Amino acid sequence: MNTLRTIRTATALILVAALGGCVTAPAPTAQLAVADAAVQHANTSSTSQDAPAELQIAIAKLASAQQAETNRDYERAIQLAQEAEVDAQVAELTAQSARSRRAAVESQDAAHVLVEEIDRQNHR
Amino acid sequence: MNTRMIVLVPLAVLFAACTSIPEQNVALDQARSAVDAAQHNPQVASLAPQELAEAVDSLSVAERAATDRAATATVNHLAYMSLQRARIATDTASSKASQAVVAGAAAERDKLLLEARTNQAEAAEYAADNAEKQLALSEQNNELKATELANADAAAMRNDARVSDLEMQLKDLNAKQTDRGMVVTLGDVLFDTGKSQILASGSSNIAKLADFFKRNPERTALIEGYTDDVGAAAANFALSQQRANAVMTALIGLGVPAAGLTTLAHGEDMPTADNATAAGRQMNRRVEIVIAPAAMTSSR
Repeated sequence: MNTLRTIRTATALILVAALGGCVTAPAPTAQLAVADAAVQHANTSSTSQDAPAELQIAIAKLASAQQAETNRDYERAIQLAQEAEVDAQVAELTAQSARSRRAAVESQDAAHVLVEEIDRQNHR
Repeated sequence: MNTRMIVLVPLAVLFAACTSIPEQNVALDQARSAVDAAQHNPQVASLAPQELAEAVDSLSVAERAATDRAATATVNHLAYMSLQRARIATDTASSKASQAVVAGAAAERDKLLLEARTNQAEAAEYAADNAEKQLALSEQNNELKATELANADAAAMRNDARVSDLEMQLKDLNAKQTDRGMVVTLGDVLFDTGKSQILASGSSNIAKLADFFKRNPERTALIEGYTDDVGAAAANFALSQQRANAVMTALIGLGVPAAGLTTLAHGEDMPTADNATAAGRQMNRRVEIVIAPAAMTSSR
């Protein structure tokens, strides 16, 4: 008797869940996974050094997306996941751009030093 | 007044709805200006064309959503995506430009290093060339000096040879080294008693002497005549003079320059042996040729 009731309840619950799944969009697990991977990829020491603000935005956005998923606000979760992914890319590229700019300045400085050194040698 | 407002507000709303101008959206404005700036940046257009195209596409999606009056959150989201895509395009282009600068600087550095090495090599070659020339010059100098040395040595050797030759020649004539110089004594075998005629037996000694003076024209000589004490002293003096003259005449006749020759008569003075014996008297009848010391000649 007791087990029968339990089975009934379980069946009802499954039905409700299935119905609920049909009504609302499915949980954006894949999008969140992609966003999580992107943020993790961007979360390096060099990015946190050269683009700390951008990286923090991406991390916060991912947390918001996960919160939205927890709140079953799947539409918002998808949007936030997409934003977190693009934010992670921005953080990475901002850091890379800064590094490249520094490298360019350094190499130009080195070139000047080299020119001066060669001039000095030539005039010796 | 109130009724007017009640009528106007819905009218305005209706009007706004009729015009297809979408609502003002700050996020969308930002995205528009960011994408526009990226599009007008030639660096982005040339270095990040794919990223720029994605930004432009995402902006048109956001614009369409706004036109379609999608939820503000959706439009905001799409505008944000577009804004970030514009940043990605800009950062990508900037990164690539900087990398190109680095690569260019590396190429420039390689070129400079190569030039510097070429210059150094040329300088080294030039220096080596110079050094070689210097070496050749100094070698030439050395050769010259060596030649000079060799010449000097040869001259010295010749001088030495001449000196030793001289000594040899004089030794042949039984020359003796005295403080007056080298003295060659021609014995009385040269002359008959009381005569100043040189005998044929003495001519070979005279010839050797002449030969010596001819080979050493700088040498001067004093020809001294001596006799024994047989007979009057005055006669002996005259005889000694005649004999000295005879020797000088013979030498001049054999080609010895007269300027270097002088005669001096001693008569029976300064005998070299005892006049009491025949052998002693024979030794006293003599002609001595005193050759001036070498110091009077030019030294090397």
